[in-house]
Amino acid sequence: MDDFRLRSERRPSEGGIPARRAVTHWAWRLFRREWRQQLLILALITVAVAATILGSSVAVNNPPPKDAGFGTAPYSASFASYSAKAQTFIAKAAHLGTVQVIENVTYSIPGSINTYQLRSQDARGPFGGPMLSLINGHYPSSADEVAVTNGVASAFHLSIGKTWKVGGVNRDVVGIVQNPQSLLDAFALVVPGQVTNPSQVTALFDVPASAIRSLSEGVQISTPASVAASNPLNPETISLAALVLGMLLIALVSIGGFTVLAQRRMRSIGMLESIGATDRHVRLVVSANGTVVGIVGAILGLIIGFAGWLAYRPSFEQSAHHLIGVFALPWIVVMLAIVLAVLAAYFASSRPARAVTKIPIVHALSGRPAPPRQIHRSAVPGVVFLVAAFLLLGYSGGTGGGNGSGGAPELLLGLVLLTPGLILLAPFFLSLTERVSRRAPIAARLALRDLARYRARSGSALSAISIGVLISVIVVLAAASRFSNVLDYAGPNLDSNQLALHTAFPPHGVNIVHRNAKGQLVPVPNQKTETATPAQLAAGAGQIAKGLNAHLVALESPNAFLSGTQGGRNWSGQIYVATPQLLRAFGIKASEINPKADVLTSRPGLSGVSGLAMGYGTNSKKSVLRGGPAGSDRHPLIQEISALPSGTSAPNTVITEYAMKRFHISMSTSDWLVVGTQSFTAAQISSAQLTASTAQLQVESRNDIPSGSTIINWATLFGILIALGVLAMSVGLVRSETSSDLRTLAATGASSYTRRTLTAVTAGALGFLGALLGVVGGYIAMIGWLRSNSLNGGISALKDVPFGDLMLILFGMPALAAIVGWLLASREPAVMGRQPIE
Amino acid sequence: MSMLELRSVSKRYGQGANEVDAISDIDLAVERGSLVAIMGPSGSGKSTLLTIAGSLEEPTTGEVVIDGARVSGMSRNDKARLRRRSVGYVFQDFNLLAGLTAVENVSLPLELDGVSMKKARAQGMVALEGLGLADRAESFPDQLSGGERQRVAIARAVVGERSLLLADEPSGALDSVNGEAVMRMILSACHGGVAAVVVTHDAKLASWADRVVFLRDGRAVDETLPPPSPEELLNPDAPNPA
Amino acid sequence: MSVRHSLLALLSEGPKYGFQLRQEFESSTGEVWPLNVGQVYTTLQRLERDGLAQSDDIEEDERQKNYRITEKGGEELSRWLRTPPDLSEPPRDELVIKVLVASRLANVDVYEVIQLHRRYIVQLMQQWTRLKEDESHFDLAFALAVDAELFRLDAVVRWLDSADGRLHRATIEPTPENALALPSIRRRTGTHR
Repeated sequence: MDDFRLRSERRPSEGGIPARRAVTHWAWRLFRREWRQQLLILALITVAVAATILGSSVAVNNPPPKDAGFGTAPYSASFASYSAKAQTFIAKAAHLGTVQVIENVTYSIPGSINTYQLRSQDARGPFGGPMLSLINGHYPSSADEVAVTNGVASAFHLSIGKTWKVGGVNRDVVGIVQNPQSLLDAFALVVPGQVTNPSQVTALFDVPASAIRSLSEGVQISTPASVAASNPLNPETISLAALVLGMLLIALVSIGGFTVLAQRRMRSIGMLESIGATDRHVRLVVSANGTVVGIVGAILGLIIGFAGWLAYRPSFEQSAHHLIGVFALPWIVVMLAIVLAVLAAYFASSRPARAVTKIPIVHALSGRPAPPRQIHRSAVPGVVFLVAAFLLLGYSGGTGGGNGSGGAPELLLGLVLLTPGLILLAPFFLSLTERVSRRAPIAARLALRDLARYRARSGSALSAISIGVLISVIVVLAAASRFSNVLDYAGPNLDSNQLALHTAFPPHGVNIVHRNAKGQLVPVPNQKTETATPAQLAAGAGQIAKGLNAHLVALESPNAFLSGTQGGRNWSGQIYVATPQLLRAFGIKASEINPKADVLTSRPGLSGVSGLAMGYGTNSKKSVLRGGPAGSDRHPLIQEISALPSGTSAPNTVITEYAMKRFHISMSTSDWLVVGTQSFTAAQISSAQLTASTAQLQVESRNDIPSGSTIINWATLFGILIALGVLAMSVGLVRSETSSDLRTLAATGASSYTRRTLTAVTAGALGFLGALLGVVGGYIAMIGWLRSNSLNGGISALKDVPFGDLMLILFGMPALAAIVGWLLASREPAVMGRQPIE
Repeated sequence: MSMLELRSVSKRYGQGANEVDAISDIDLAVERGSLVAIMGPSGSGKSTLLTIAGSLEEPTTGEVVIDGARVSGMSRNDKARLRRRSVGYVFQDFNLLAGLTAVENVSLPLELDGVSMKKARAQGMVALEGLGLADRAESFPDQLSGGERQRVAIARAVVGERSLLLADEPSGALDSVNGEAVMRMILSACHGGVAAVVVTHDAKLASWADRVVFLRDGRAVDETLPPPSPEELLNPDAPNPA
Repeated sequence: MSVRHSLLALLSEGPKYGFQLRQEFESSTGEVWPLNVGQVYTTLQRLERDGLAQSDDIEEDERQKNYRITEKGGEELSRWLRTPPDLSEPPRDELVIKVLVASRLANVDVYEVIQLHRRYIVQLMQQWTRLKEDESHFDLAFALAVDAELFRLDAVVRWLDSADGRLHRATIEPTPENALALPSIRRRTGTHR
């Protein structure tokens, strides 16, 4: 806009600000008159902005706050009791800086596996503020007062005013409190000094950096680990990428919409030109309208997104287990969403705006349908782009150590080139419909011919559909090729009723650091920590299993490994020993096992892999594991047993006792599997983690890694939804172009059957062409990539494509679109008699 | 000096076998204050003549001079400015922008030329008042009758200093009473110093003109003689054509 | 134009003197059809003779006689207003004959003849229109009368346009039907009603 003003000031002959004001004014009126025609574009932008705001807010706020457990303190240290060491440390820290001490003692809730803590913490302490907030009543101010969390209150049927004996003292309940940083934290708050036998003493403190070194002697000092900052794929980045892609799609779809609008206003625009509007004014009319749509959509999206956030925040806080501020939105993402929405609408409208100024005024004025613009129907430019993308992807294989010689830039450029390739191929594909149409019945012929004739607007819809399908096809194919590899096994780690326990060192989630001479935080070298004995570890694991009322399976790790390569990927995963206890836990009878089998596995297809060798023993004399001499078995007998668990962290592949004896393989216990009767709740997992932390164990619970079929199904759904959404928008637009045809058809006696066929064929044909183009593009990309990238299984990995999902995209989606088009196209044209005044 | 001058203007459409001469070798001069009608059957090139005269189209050969300025060789922007400042169009049935009120439509050419909204609006009101439409100023086009719409269009065509009015079948969609009203208005604009060209196939409308040029197959074949005085008509000796 | 019925119409407004009737007749037809002074009085005599009007019979001078309409006269006026004029018989139109003849003569450019007549008629129409334009005070009767004349002339122009087009088409694509155009027109007009 700025350079526009400058230019027009240099050339006042263009009418300057009053002219632009008048033209924009008209554009605004047009938008108000015809907002219904733009409703679809508006809705698309609104939904995109609202979804971005809500989605990114949830994604950004879902992980626990970085400073959880630290309050406002930069350092913390924990002690198992008020030992002399602890007292010395606290005194020293208090001398050097500020300290706040929080004492905890854990009690169990009777009749429950859950526990709560009696906590003494000064509510007005220097650091603990963010860890404590008052819901009701007031904080305890004397020894005979206590404030409890909602969880504790309901467990003990407490309310303000009642008396409760806790920590051996009768106390009045004076308040309901919570830990905003962890809503799962169940505790009873008393004034400092009331916890006489703490099981955990935490010192939050702040001292000058130079003093840390002297304090850290023999004590673990923790700082908030800045995990999020070091991760390049943080939620904001992902939401931004999704936003850019989404807005690109919207812009593509909207081009068609704005082209139709410009077409419909052609006579008005010719009129405007005849009374002396310049090309610039005309362009301004169309693009001002686009910008208005963008702004209105962005504002509506902001309002809806924020309202959705306000409505969802309370239940989201519960599921995320910490309090979240009302305005804790990722504002950069929100602002970018708004800017991108306006930009997308502006660019989508500026292309038709330029096209409009190229129409001769006399043609525009007469309002006779402009001869359809002859878009090059040559497939050559599109094919060139696709070939270039194919070659680039072919060279990109080097990223993963495959045969290709290129790297990430080639991969990225190749994927980027696919888009213009598809956009340029769209008109060519549309020109094919005309050939198909020649033998079709009249309604279908008309629909197909219109698609081919008005390629300018059906082309952008086709591009949008094909890009949506392309994305989903690439994801489907990539997931299929990745998840089909039995050696490098991918998928969920555990079932939801399973927990894996691992020996923990160093303690999970805490970095042992100190500041070096330059004041930088560095890990403490050779930090000596007491290591729990195997017996202590086993006892801890038993305690966890008991607390969860679950079955414990000790997992024995053999001094053996599997090695082999298939499809460019090596064996990955832990193998365990098929102890009788393990087999029993999964209901496998000895009779089911081939007595000569060396390895049992739940990985489908592993027994068919040739060249899988089993190595055992160790050449290193220093090894803590004692065993027989090292060696390898080139052809172990592998038996597939589906009863074994399939999770990547579960014992999915085990060595039989037969093989253990045969090769004199030793073993040791380092992991346990906890198997419950039903899914573990978040509270149960949290309590297990609490127990584990004192027993030097780590709890691994089911993670969010989806299974291959989940990814494929979601990707398929995504592709179908995008395609249908685009169709819902663009079919209306493509058909509205020919609404006068519809009037003529009705006048010549066409029934609703004809109208329905027109819409259904338009939707179905557009959907099918888009799906075809997307699938072809996706295959080209994946063949190019996999050809060179043997790491991902080479081209042979494509043999396992989920046929059903591709068929669903290729045929199911167009069929659904056609049916919906058929059902929705029953309305008569609203105005038969007269053309509305333009 | 003529307000509009066409010098041996020809327009050729199409190429090769499809080549058609829409108009050939037309000479026409329209003085300020005069109303010229162009009459001819459909396809005789009337409308092409008008669009070329109004700089909406370029002639294939020949020259168009509007208010002393030669149109050929002007840039698109210069032509747009010429239209804003000198030329007013009135078309058969489609004249007003739907999103704007009557007065906004009338003042639009002024605003496009950089006149401030307030001033443009005041001038637009003057033009509307001159045509007896002041009370309809705030109506949108779809709230106006066909006759009112054409009158607003005329107001827009003559608003400001514009002095060349080009009308293409200005009363084509109206009944004869409304059509007559439109012609009366164009004539009164002419009396105010505007040069007007009206294209029509209707002899009743053409008879309002000072001069009628007959077009046939793109050529000006004939034109009327200077008008006799009304007294001659009342003379009983006047020849009776029937 | 029926002078007889116009006078009856004027009398139906109320009794009037002879001179008064003549003045009003002249003004009501807007001086478009200037008529012989004597015609009004002979017509009044005939009306009286046929029993459609009555005079007081006192004055000898027709101008001074007071006339009033009779009941029979009122009926006659009402009947006349509702009787369609006889348009079934085509008038013997000189222009039609001229164009027909011109189209048959090889050495005459029929289009030039048509254009000549067209221009002449348009000029006539310009004169009528100018009358309408110059009429500063709005006179309804006058406007109606001028309109009638304009429409009549307009019809002639339209006929010329159509003849022009028809002849033009006939020269482009001469068909047997076009060649026989003249006799068939005659036959049809002859058999009409």
